[in-house]
Amino acid sequence: MEWSESISIAALGSHLLVGLSRAMILFIVTSGLSFVLGVLRVPNVAHGSLYMIGAFAAFSIVNALGGGAPGFWAALVFAPLIVAGVSLVAERALFCHLYEREHLMLLLFTFALMLILGDLVKMVWGADYRSIMAPEFLRGSLPVFGSPFPKYNLFLLIVGPVVAVGLWLFSTRTRIGKIARAAAVDREMVGAVGINVSWVFAFAFVLGCFLAGLGGALVAPTVSVTLGMDHDIIIEAFLIVTIGGLGNMWGAMVGSLIFGITQSFGVLFWPQFAIVFPYAAVVIVLTLRPKGLLKSVW
Amino acid sequence: MKATHHRHTMRLPAVLLLIAATVLILMPAGAAARNIKVGIIDCYSGPPAVYGNDALNGFKLALKDINKKGVLGSKIEFTTRDTKFKVDIALNMARELVMREEVDVLVGTINSGAAMAVSESIAKGQKVPFIAWISKSERITGEKGHRYVFSTGENTAMAGKAGGVALSQKPYKRYWVAGDDYEYGHAIANAAWRNLSAAKPSVVKIGESWWKPGEPDLIPYITSILAANPDAVIFCTGGRSMTNIMKAIKATGMAERLPIWIHTATDHAVLKPLGAEAPEGVMGTMDYHFYHPDISANRNFVNAFTKEYGNPPGFPAFHGYITAHFIADAFRKAGEIDKEKFIDALEGMKIDSPAGPIEMRACDHQVILPMYLGVTRYSPEHKVVISSEIVTLRGSEVMPSCSDIIESRGK
Repeated sequence: MEWSESISIAALGSHLLVGLSRAMILFIVTSGLSFVLGVLRVPNVAHGSLYMIGAFAAFSIVNALGGGAPGFWAALVFAPLIVAGVSLVAERALFCHLYEREHLMLLLFTFALMLILGDLVKMVWGADYRSIMAPEFLRGSLPVFGSPFPKYNLFLLIVGPVVAVGLWLFSTRTRIGKIARAAAVDREMVGAVGINVSWVFAFAFVLGCFLAGLGGALVAPTVSVTLGMDHDIIIEAFLIVTIGGLGNMWGAMVGSLIFGITQSFGVLFWPQFAIVFPYAAVVIVLTLRPKGLLKSVW
Repeated sequence: MKATHHRHTMRLPAVLLLIAATVLILMPAGAAARNIKVGIIDCYSGPPAVYGNDALNGFKLALKDINKKGVLGSKIEFTTRDTKFKVDIALNMARELVMREEVDVLVGTINSGAAMAVSESIAKGQKVPFIAWISKSERITGEKGHRYVFSTGENTAMAGKAGGVALSQKPYKRYWVAGDDYEYGHAIANAAWRNLSAAKPSVVKIGESWWKPGEPDLIPYITSILAANPDAVIFCTGGRSMTNIMKAIKATGMAERLPIWIHTATDHAVLKPLGAEAPEGVMGTMDYHFYHPDISANRNFVNAFTKEYGNPPGFPAFHGYITAHFIADAFRKAGEIDKEKFIDALEGMKIDSPAGPIEMRACDHQVILPMYLGVTRYSPEHKVVISSEIVTLRGSEVMPSCSDIIESRGK
């Protein structure tokens, strides 16, 4: 094989950037999953479905507004809000009655919800492949280290850290964020000091799902918006929160970076078996640190 | 336990009544010149439903004309079953259609694995003719072919040979091969590479990459291929990966740097949703276009289809349409509703299709179809990117020879 000669510093650099930009989408989705896991102790398998609904909602919004740039920006704002609305209904109607159940029960319940949401998406949007476009100035690519780097991925590299900083500020500087963090550590104590835990939980759940919707809306211009997106992301998302440390937001970031970058470098070093690299990384991390890299709240 | 038992005893009379009623309804039809029954198993749920529904629409459109004239003094009727893209469900449904519905012909399905299973255990086992209309595995009428299975669709051998033959006429030497890591991807890759290297022994494969079907992030694959700097690239993707690869090609401007061939890159179902994000300059092969060949038979078919269903036919609709005509003509030629005589009649049968005259090859039961090699270009007339500069590769150029097929079956 001749590939070894093609691995230059430039190729490494461009693959690092590509891996980082993929990690940003993964981070946005998994930080939401991790938040729900941490505060509510719910392993929400339906998180991937909400990501898929975010992408489909973005498609509908872009089309309703004529397919241009305003539609795209509106989709980035309103698609996650639509997902948040769906999740609020789900939380108040279903989840809030189930928090005390054991994890296996919750796993089965959210799995059922994933199947139901999948069928609902098919009923609303149909089985066709959909596609939306990023605004004009985010299409095409720029030369970075001699390789074409899509402008949209550059945009993701900006959005990812913004979301991370926003989440960090929210959880450390706002009252409700602090309460949510406290509930993650000791939910009985939070209730004992007179805080309405039920609404804290609802808020945490909706915020987590909002992030899934945002991830879906952000990924929509780069892929085919279609059924099956939910299955694609959910396994990766669970692996990422597991290696990062359950319920730890920075863990989700570290896990996403590991996942995105090992995949990107895997493609460069050993393209026939690139699929294996992120999973191999997961196995190595979990062998060395079974509870994840950062502190798990579980 | 008790409750379930109770429910069963309650249901039994109702089921018996229903069966009795069905028998009563069906009896008069059976007593007169009975209708020809076609059982369709295909996927009508999940992402592959796009193909299943389109094929069914083409089939239904053809039946409208066929039944106006009638076949052997009666009509062709059909019943569908949803396989949910699963092999075991397809088998059960096919078995049910044969045993209970007593269909004369089985038709299906987008899933090659299901088509192969039905072909082997139902068609061959129960001696019922089975026509695979949109599954693309070359093994159906190739090494796994037999008397009771036919294909009215194109297959991976034809697609790969079309690509291989077309590329062998280009000056490229160093190739990179990449695609979806599943049967379809590898089958196309193998067929294309086999034919390309046979036609032009000087080609070399400098690398391969394989991703999981539906992989959302194909950018790293593209940048690594660009870094390796091949003369041309063969991508072997299908389904939703088609959209993903086309978007990634557009985003990286890959088509401007390297010649790329992807089977079905010129498929309208792939290009239309992409709109302005469909890359131009990608070579693709297709077995049917609603805008090509521009002959009256195709225009009539497209107009009738569009009027009925609101959108132009895709390739599955074309295959559904010709399948109905093959069935009708074969029964007319057979002169009676008899499975063995139907098979004899269908062998070597020629019909006029929207794409011109086509033939069901007698030696392997594979329809002889031309393939259209084209390059993606924006069409102001259609307001989307379509296939242009179309070169027609005749069926005889893209199909494995009868002796190759017989040899592969002997193994």
